[in-house]
Amino acid sequence: MTANQECFYAGVDIGSVTAKTVILKDGVIVGRATIPTAVSSEKSGLAALGKALENAALSRSDLKYTIATGYGRIAAPYANKTITEITCHAKGANYLNPKTRTIIDMGGQDCKAMRVNEEGHVIDFVLNDKCAAGTGRFLEVVTRVFELTLDELGPLSVKSRDNERVPISSTCTVFAESEIVSLMARGESPENILSGVHYAIAHRIAGMFTRTGVEDEVFFSGGVAKNIGMRKALEDTMEKKIVVSENEDPQLVGALGAALLARERYLAKTS
Amino acid sequence: MLSYLAKIKQAVESRPAELAKAREKGAKVVGYFCSYVPEEIIHALRLIPVRLEYGGDEHLVDIGGRYVSKNNCVFIREAVGMFAEKKDPFVRNSDKVAVATTCLQIYRLAELVNHFFQVPTAILVVPRSFYYPEGRKFFQKEMGNFARELETFSGKKLDAGALRDSIELYKNIRQTLREIYKYQAKDPAIIDWRDVFQVIHAGFYLDREYYLSLLKYLLAELMEEEKKVQAGEVDALEEKPRILLAGSIIARGDNKIINMIDRMGGRIVADDLCTGQRFFAGLEVKDYSLEGLADAYLDKVPCASLPYPFPLETDRRLANLSQLIDECRAEGMIYHTLRYCDPFTFKANETKQFFKDKVAFMEIHTEYAPSDEGAIMTRVEAFMELIFNLRASKKVLVK
Repeated sequence: MTANQECFYAGVDIGSVTAKTVILKDGVIVGRATIPTAVSSEKSGLAALGKALENAALSRSDLKYTIATGYGRIAAPYANKTITEITCHAKGANYLNPKTRTIIDMGGQDCKAMRVNEEGHVIDFVLNDKCAAGTGRFLEVVTRVFELTLDELGPLSVKSRDNERVPISSTCTVFAESEIVSLMARGESPENILSGVHYAIAHRIAGMFTRTGVEDEVFFSGGVAKNIGMRKALEDTMEKKIVVSENEDPQLVGALGAALLARERYLAKTS
Repeated sequence: MLSYLAKIKQAVESRPAELAKAREKGAKVVGYFCSYVPEEIIHALRLIPVRLEYGGDEHLVDIGGRYVSKNNCVFIREAVGMFAEKKDPFVRNSDKVAVATTCLQIYRLAELVNHFFQVPTAILVVPRSFYYPEGRKFFQKEMGNFARELETFSGKKLDAGALRDSIELYKNIRQTLREIYKYQAKDPAIIDWRDVFQVIHAGFYLDREYYLSLLKYLLAELMEEEKKVQAGEVDALEEKPRILLAGSIIARGDNKIINMIDRMGGRIVADDLCTGQRFFAGLEVKDYSLEGLADAYLDKVPCASLPYPFPLETDRRLANLSQLIDECRAEGMIYHTLRYCDPFTFKANETKQFFKDKVAFMEIHTEYAPSDEGAIMTRVEAFMELIFNLRASKKVLVK
């Protein structure tokens, strides 16, 4: 490997709702893409990869190593290797915030609690992929009830004052939807109900951490990390400061971790 | 070449026909559930003991579910399904069903098969207070009651000499199994854990004297095999993650978690399952009598079903796990719990905490249905990655 040769690596995170790609040039991000996942995980992964390459003005032949992760990694023949999203998220979080020792990842259809060490290696994890409670899906359902967009949920929910928050008792997304409609009919304000929704989710996430423990610093990743209402609810519920990446889209943490691991593996192979 | 593995397998396949023939000639079979049932007594009365334990069959779980609550674990639902369907040759050839009440699910099974299918049962009540002298006295008496009930069933009186012989036979069986078990954790592997697991299961069905002879031949083959194998260089960083499989019963036919560990590149090097290592762990009969049997069974490595309200450092279940981790050099414990298997599920967290500085830990909570295979695959795969990473940085675990 000559000193002048640039090395490009790709991480593709095919989730159940979106497919993400991060392209690294050596250790620096030069391309990104996020697209909705279609029925074919393989096609979605390739499409996300293609879009990111286009953004970076590269082609697939420029890539030295590609790692696929996420639920759709089982159909990724274009990848050199697949690694679980648990390991990839830890790697990505460690890169963005080396002081991370705990990770909350809230994706489209699952949520994860992870403990990591200083090297960004997972030492414990708990997943919830059995139901929508605590995932982006729940918030999506809520947007329909309020006729809002996902981006509007957080900012509206933080307008509620703590003592005015309306608690949501249903733990199931489907029943919670009915409960919210009843609360609206009863005359409760949208921000107070929304605040209740966010705190109900936070409570559920906090429950996952009783199995793993929590250690500072706590890093929040996944699409839902973009929701400021969720961040506030988590900080209040877990009584911990929550770190969200300022410079990088939290939704890309998994793909970033995959790309970093792609680089690591390639360098280990060729050294 | 381990030719006795194939021989043992063949013997199990021909066993149902053997049992049917023996019964035609007047022999009686006692099918039993739970490793607290003392086979020695059954054997000494010239009754044929067969341990009944099957898993993994969703169809039978469904059938059983019509008789039993959905809040019964799948192991029991399947067992009830087997009695309802009456197709399984071992169930069909059981003249009586014996049950130890260690676990409430199995106790429920005894109530049900009697009620719905008129299967005659013999119940051995296992005391929860097994650490008090009163509890121990109670169990000694229970052994007597159990023996009396089987005497009536067999039409014979329990002969003290026959009991001594049976106890001796089972001692030898357990001792030979202990020796064989060591070979599956060695490096390089002389025999696969999975094969040893099958060998232990074979002992639930075969004629026990014949079984002992097969075990002895197998052990001899293992010793020969070990001499031939070069103590080669095993790359410490590249070898498969060494897994201790613990938790709820994994019955014959329930291959879900075992297959998944295999598929994700793990190597099972130990287990504490009641259908595996715990069947013979810590069971030492000192006094060759009914009282001696009672004491020995209460003193063996206990099932999680028996509550232990004392400091965990003195819990023999945990001590056994600890010893297995050390002797078999396990790097990760996969703690498998069946839904509604309450005792093991309740104790998952304390087991995890107890071993937090010693071994990586992951609970897999599941049933027999394959619908959660994707989710389990992700967890098991992530666990293997976790072990590789920690191994590379030579760290053990958690805070």
